[in-house]
Amino acid sequence: MRFFRNILVWTLILSAFTLLAFGPRPQLRKGESGVVTIEYWEKWGGLEATQMQSIIDEFNQTVGKEKGIFVRYLSVSSVNQKTLVATAANVPPDVAGMWDGNIPQFSALGALAPLDELAAGYGITEEYYKPVYWKGCRYDGKLYGLVSTPAAVALHWNKIVFQEAEENLRAAGLDPDRAPRTLDELDAYAAALDLISDEGWVERAGYVPVQPGFWWTHFMPFWFGGELYDEANRKLCLDIPEAVAAYEWVRSYSVKFGVKSITEFRSSQQGAGTISTVEPFIVGTLAMEQQGPWRANYFNVLAPHLNEWKMPREEAARLPVEERRKNYAWGAAPFPSADGRELVCYAGFDVLTIPSASRHKREAFEFIAFVNRRDVMERLCSMHSKNSPLRDVTAAFIENHPNPYVQVFEDLSSSPHARGLPRVPIWAEVQAELSTIAQEIFLLKSEPEEALTRVQKRMQAKLDRFFEIDDRRRKSERAGPS
Amino acid sequence: MTRGEWKRLATGLTFLSPWIIGFLFFMAIPICLSFYYSLTDFPLLREPVIIGLDNYAELLWRRNETGGIGDPVFYKSLWNTFFYAAMALPSGLLLSLALALVLNLGVKGQSIYRTLIFLPTLVPMVASAMVWMWMFNTRLGVINSMLRSIGIEGPGWLTETQWAMPALVFMSLWGVGHTVIIYLAGLQDVPAALYEAAEIDGAGTWARMRHVTIPCISPVIFFNLVMGIIGTLQVFAIPYIMTGGGPARATYFYTMYLYDNAFQYLKFGYASAMAWIQFLIILVLTGIAFWSSKRWVHYQGG
Repeated sequence: MRFFRNILVWTLILSAFTLLAFGPRPQLRKGESGVVTIEYWEKWGGLEATQMQSIIDEFNQTVGKEKGIFVRYLSVSSVNQKTLVATAANVPPDVAGMWDGNIPQFSALGALAPLDELAAGYGITEEYYKPVYWKGCRYDGKLYGLVSTPAAVALHWNKIVFQEAEENLRAAGLDPDRAPRTLDELDAYAAALDLISDEGWVERAGYVPVQPGFWWTHFMPFWFGGELYDEANRKLCLDIPEAVAAYEWVRSYSVKFGVKSITEFRSSQQGAGTISTVEPFIVGTLAMEQQGPWRANYFNVLAPHLNEWKMPREEAARLPVEERRKNYAWGAAPFPSADGRELVCYAGFDVLTIPSASRHKREAFEFIAFVNRRDVMERLCSMHSKNSPLRDVTAAFIENHPNPYVQVFEDLSSSPHARGLPRVPIWAEVQAELSTIAQEIFLLKSEPEEALTRVQKRMQAKLDRFFEIDDRRRKSERAGPS
Repeated sequence: MTRGEWKRLATGLTFLSPWIIGFLFFMAIPICLSFYYSLTDFPLLREPVIIGLDNYAELLWRRNETGGIGDPVFYKSLWNTFFYAAMALPSGLLLSLALALVLNLGVKGQSIYRTLIFLPTLVPMVASAMVWMWMFNTRLGVINSMLRSIGIEGPGWLTETQWAMPALVFMSLWGVGHTVIIYLAGLQDVPAALYEAAEIDGAGTWARMRHVTIPCISPVIFFNLVMGIIGTLQVFAIPYIMTGGGPARATYFYTMYLYDNAFQYLKFGYASAMAWIQFLIILVLTGIAFWSSKRWVHYQGG
């Protein structure tokens, strides 16, 4: 018995040592060949990941080979949360591909490395970038990331539906061959395109402000002349008259259709998310919606007929871009503003950052700088069907882009009226609150003014508290351990 | 202790050490740390700043900026969780008991029915949620289609604030298979002699159930009740997938707000305080269940 016990104990001890000696361990960053491996975590999977991988391969074979850097791509879901936890554990990736909203949130916590000096060394300055994206990459006077792919939102209109409703549109004195140019006109187009059944159900909606979801409703005040944040005074502007007017307008559509009918209409895509073949815009039950330039790629996969209205895409590819637009059963145009300003838009972006605990910042930035080279950036943005974050784009970029309306997005994102996410360190919380009241207002459960006042008070108190604690923390960190 | 006893203790501890080390590092230390963090402002990447009971005050009793008491979202999520538990727990316990009683009647093909009832619990949670989302769909869903066929216009199950919670409770009954199996095991353990004695005394079906079956399986009911209290007060995954807490926070549960505070808003101190409040609530409710069990739970031979 004693013999067997000893055997068991020694087997366990030996197994433990074997595991320690030969078991899994963090990979060495510097191999024998002296190549530094850069771990790059990114949110993209599927086709977008493959496209990014082709850029990485190009880097590894050219600049990387020359400078001894190898970039390894890892698709990571909830990449912001995982980067946060990995940073806290002091084993972050060297490059983290996150969202624009993470810049103020993460940099306020010191989680991101400032990139000003590195960027300047590569000639990446304010003059190189479109202002809205450059501003979005900065927080508290420092640069904390550079764009991987950007976007701007525009009004998309379904030309097939417009043709079907041609009679109604003409009867209302509207041109069925173009998108609306003012907000009043948009309301008129929407009304002429609505199709309501005898039972009162919405068979087809001209426009619904909360389609494709509540994710962008909180930017609506931009089109009414409002801002969301006064950065200089650290004051949120959620309940200003422009915001109230914006939400009143959102509400007017629920009043027009009736809550029961409009929620029933929206539920038809429920369960499929916003990217699916049963999207109302694709099946023609929604004539207009706000979307980004990526739609051209999505349609290629989900609804190729929308990109091949008159002839196969390959055939149309030979045509000039103006002609090519006619082959698309949808169009994109600036979303009209309430106050007559032109080219108002929300412009968001995906961003490449370097966590502050990264051990290879210089090598990591080498890769980010490569992605930000004009030729590489245009190739990546073309593949992802996005506009460019850079001030100047080549004619070839516009001419060969998979989205024939890319010039619309270029104009929108270059406009002085383009607005990005407000640089509020607690934006995630503000956004959740705004999304909730947007639902309340849409369901006619709250009045816009009351709901916005409530959120303004609640969120401003939280923001004040954030800065108060942050100041205390900074002071104590400056004082050092006592 | 003799030398031999020390040696035996050392051997025992050595073999227990994987569990002890695991418990210390993954349970005991994090639990203690979470209490410390609940007294701080802790955004994970910066040093925690001690703020005393501020997190608890903000959550529970401090007058807020809109004139109310405490954090309104906290109270809303707490209310939603209690409301869900108050509906889902009794209905789940009753339905599973009813199903177990029917299965225990010795019906032909009992094993097939048992498998069918247990089967849904094997379906991955995300898959169940996706299927139910379509079943609840206002226009295309099978539930409203069935209602329409008998002349009833069904509601927007997941899109109307007043119907979203009942829909989730209804869906929770889909997963009663586990409880049914536990009840069934308990029912098959009831001594046949007791039923025979009751029958001789003239007891009918209802009397047999009330005076024999229920008391005999009361420990099983108690077990399911305690597990149900803990489970329903921690509900997270299904509503997170199906409704995301909406519409307008009608299905925003306590654990969802806790998760958002920790991983979306990076307020780990605030989330830790919420975790401790949740722990205390579950502790008190479980304590009440244990206290009341003296009156209605009967252990064989006890």
